[in-house]
Amino acid sequence: MYGGRLLRCAAMMIDLLTFLENNEVSVFIREFPSVFGFPTILFLHTLGLAMVAGVSIAIDLWILRGATAGAPLHLLGLTRTMWLGFGINLVSGLALLLAYPAKALTNGVFYLKMALVLLGVYVAVRINREIAARGRTGAVLSIGFDARRWATGSLMLWAAATVTGRLLAYTYNVLFAYELTP
Amino acid sequence: MMRELIHWLTHTPVNHLVMDYRWTWPTAESLHFCALALMVGTVGTFDLRLLGLGKGISPATLHYSIRFGVARFVVSVVTGALFIFGQPDQYFYNNAFKVKVVCLLLLGLNVCAFYALEARQVLKLGAGDDAPPRAKVFAAISLTLLVAIMCAGRMLTFYRP
Repeated sequence: MYGGRLLRCAAMMIDLLTFLENNEVSVFIREFPSVFGFPTILFLHTLGLAMVAGVSIAIDLWILRGATAGAPLHLLGLTRTMWLGFGINLVSGLALLLAYPAKALTNGVFYLKMALVLLGVYVAVRINREIAARGRTGAVLSIGFDARRWATGSLMLWAAATVTGRLLAYTYNVLFAYELTP
Repeated sequence: MMRELIHWLTHTPVNHLVMDYRWTWPTAESLHFCALALMVGTVGTFDLRLLGLGKGISPATLHYSIRFGVARFVVSVVTGALFIFGQPDQYFYNNAFKVKVVCLLLLGLNVCAFYALEARQVLKLGAGDDAPPRAKVFAAISLTLLVAIMCAGRMLTFYRP
């Protein structure tokens, strides 16, 4: 009984993936005959990663060096760059997912990457919030928040997210839904 | 001469290491991308500071992390060399690779000019201070070249000969 239900679920999943990859937008992204199509989206995804992870790494290294802030508002320029990068990553990432949904959604490494990115963003938000709250007193590394530990965690998360993102190109099982059998 | 160089590169033990071991290339690529993020996190953020973002941090504090940028440069060069040893023909005849190399050289020149002309003055600035206009020009050139290097690097696959 459970086997039959599982088979039906798998068949529904394949139908959904087939629908997604036959979608006009998906075909357009995949087959746009110019360097301004898929290659540009890939570049934007890399740029977004560099902005999010780069600025986050800079703030982490600053904390590990023994951060002392003036007004936290002055950090806003950097954090805005980080969130702009995150926005670029989100949009370009969705476009890449839409172009090859079966390739990503049937790969366990994709889910690991997503989990690492979400954790990385959570840690970045937490660190920024603490800097904003404590920066006013000029004591970012004050009692109650182990900033150095959070910064170290953040560095490790971004490194892991970058590695898993790169490994997606080498660990996928199928490229298109028609290669799957329920 | 190019053919001879490619022939030589493809017959070295490094080529064997890159091409015959399944995980050498993906590992090198992962490290290359981590180094890229570190480059933006160190050099790129220092440039952004000079352009007026994150003014609460003094340029000297952010400059400290550029030594990590040197480490990342070594990782980038080593992993980049592995790719070239692995598939030299895919790089030497690739226009995107030529653009990337030119941008890297220009970035190197920009760094040399910055340290020769502006660095001393910039590193004296405190938190909240504005960078001099010439330093901002160096920072803008550096950021533009960083993005161009990233773009050319991503386009390598699509301009394969």
